[in-house]
Amino acid sequence: MKKLLTLVLALAMTLSLAACGGDTTTTDDGSGDTGTGEPTKMTLILRGGAYGESLQAMLEPFAEEHNVEFEVLLQSFDDLHTGIALDAVNETGTYDLCMVDGSWMAEFTENGVLANLSEMGYSFDDDVIPATTTICMVDDDIYLAPYYGNVTVMMYNKELLSEAGYAPEDIDSFADLMDIAQKTKDAHPDKNGFLVRGGSADNILSDFLPHLVVHGGWVVDENNNPTVDTPEFKAAMEEYLALYNLGSSLDKDDIVASVTAGDTALAQIWPGWYTPTADGPADYTTIPTKLTDDGEDMGAVALQGVWCIGIPDNAPHKELALELLEYVMSPEVQLASIEQNGVPCRFSCLTDPTVLETYPHLETVCGALQTGVYRPVIEEWTQFTNILGTEMDNIIQGTKTMDEALSYAQEQLEQLMAG
Amino acid sequence: MKRNEIRKLNSAQASTTRFGIGMLTPTMIVLLVMTAYPLIFTFVYSFTDYNYLKGTEQASFILFDNYTKLFKNGYFQQAVWNTIKFTILAVVLEMGIGLLIAVFINTLKRGQKIMRTLLLLPYLLPAVTVALSWRMMLSANYGIVNQFLKSVGLPVFNWFMDTKTAFGTILVIDVWQNVPFVFLLLYASLQSVSENQYEAARIDGAGFLQQFWYVTLPNIKGSLALCALLRTIDTFRLFEKVNVLTGGGPAGTTTTITQFLYNYGIKPLDFGYGSAGAIVMTVLVLILSSFYIKRAMG
Repeated sequence: MKKLLTLVLALAMTLSLAACGGDTTTTDDGSGDTGTGEPTKMTLILRGGAYGESLQAMLEPFAEEHNVEFEVLLQSFDDLHTGIALDAVNETGTYDLCMVDGSWMAEFTENGVLANLSEMGYSFDDDVIPATTTICMVDDDIYLAPYYGNVTVMMYNKELLSEAGYAPEDIDSFADLMDIAQKTKDAHPDKNGFLVRGGSADNILSDFLPHLVVHGGWVVDENNNPTVDTPEFKAAMEEYLALYNLGSSLDKDDIVASVTAGDTALAQIWPGWYTPTADGPADYTTIPTKLTDDGEDMGAVALQGVWCIGIPDNAPHKELALELLEYVMSPEVQLASIEQNGVPCRFSCLTDPTVLETYPHLETVCGALQTGVYRPVIEEWTQFTNILGTEMDNIIQGTKTMDEALSYAQEQLEQLMAG
Repeated sequence: MKRNEIRKLNSAQASTTRFGIGMLTPTMIVLLVMTAYPLIFTFVYSFTDYNYLKGTEQASFILFDNYTKLFKNGYFQQAVWNTIKFTILAVVLEMGIGLLIAVFINTLKRGQKIMRTLLLLPYLLPAVTVALSWRMMLSANYGIVNQFLKSVGLPVFNWFMDTKTAFGTILVIDVWQNVPFVFLLLYASLQSVSENQYEAARIDGAGFLQQFWYVTLPNIKGSLALCALLRTIDTFRLFEKVNVLTGGGPAGTTTTITQFLYNYGIKPLDFGYGSAGAIVMTVLVLILSSFYIKRAMG
């Protein structure tokens, strides 16, 4: 009896191990045509929220026309990055199409994660906003297509802005932002003049970059050497702290809730967080490009966070994925995505009079998309933001002096970039 | 005749041994595959500059560079200190509160079952669900806690984004969720304490505190040590709550070792460096746990 039991257990173990190691081999030429009438299964890994959901909502006609069954994975920022990277080392990957943040571009292209779209026959037309495509290319080769026009904008509460004596078009400089925040705080000590996004180091740094640009600074020089312990950085940080002292630091959901509830006058946000309506309590405008009203116009200060789409180099159905990418990037589909809270990167969609009647804020986004700046394209960007964001948080929270924190950050970043 | 019996006995013994080995083999294989294999590879990777995207082919042995870099890293030092502080505070609080509740419930004449079920609820929830629920309740803007404090004229706090409150808030949430585990384990142990011992103590004139000190505690000390060991190991690995609620901020005040490893090892796919951190963490847990293990082993 004991022997029998041992035998049964061993057999069960062997069977389960064999089942775990089972291999499902499929022959596919990449076009997705299986020739049997069975739908082709395509897997998409996208950013959660309006970014990926607006794309997901557009898939139905393509699925019907090409006999495709879609599986869409909507991920958080970090999970999306890890998900794409972990799958990249497999000979044949899982994902046919992936959504990529510009800050991952260097890491992904240097390690062959993404397919060269130019080699596959893809090119941009003139309708795509040129500033949104710069992050998508390495030299002349296209690796990504700009799908969701994400660029930082200045959200404001209409009533508090008007109380401070400003109209949106009057906000010309960062001095105006400070003035509005100060007036709001003076009139309502229990309300926030300006909100800073707290949380991860990346949040803190990303929101600060426009402030740094307007002060004439940047985090790296032309040779990618860190430049954070500089007078420009310190001046920008002083101004950022002054704004922070007129408000607070909250997370994304609380920021939007606070501005719409009339508890906060100003906050920097991404368009995907909030869709303004004509009779809503809040709206957004472009981030000013001057430090003071009579200061130098820096041209581009808002941070571009365009969500791009690309095809993994190991995608199981590459040709079909290219067709899908072309379909999703077409003017018609991009226009239709607006109804699903999408923000196209095409002039024709963002300046369409009928669209602007319902979504007037897209004019602001269009302007911001043409003048945005990208995070530096460096492979070490994740570690870079961890270090710098943490030290900036130390300054904001008062646990380190500015000199201590920035000199430590500079030292750490130099070590990082030196490898 | 005797020889025959001895042979039979030997054969039965051998058969029992074979059966034992047979029963143990599947477990040993699973343990080797699921525990030893990853542990050995983590250890080996910790001496390399292995980056996941670049692959093992491009990884090279760098001896103790990862460990040196790790120990010199100010953020790692802060993470280690935070983790140790958090673990000690959480385990002490959970053990204390859990024991108090267990003793209290054990003395109830009625309603023990319903109390036991109700008290267990927080422990049944996944850590991420707990974190998200508390995030909503403690939201600085629309959270019920701040609304209540405001309504009674008390100051409100930005719980997760203020260096003065973030660490304590996560500690409270972790204690809230894990006290039921301690309670359940100690309650079960209390149930096994013989009523005769209490009766004898009472006859000898012992009061409630003396009964607790001289009867209850000696009887459940094994369970207390085991419970403390399990809670120490679990708390040392704290990740979900920190990651969901603060991401390690503000100013690194809530960064635990696991959060550090996630930020500096997993996110940048720098698995060699991450592995070194994981090994250091394992050693620290072993050191911290050794005290309890000694106690538990008797």
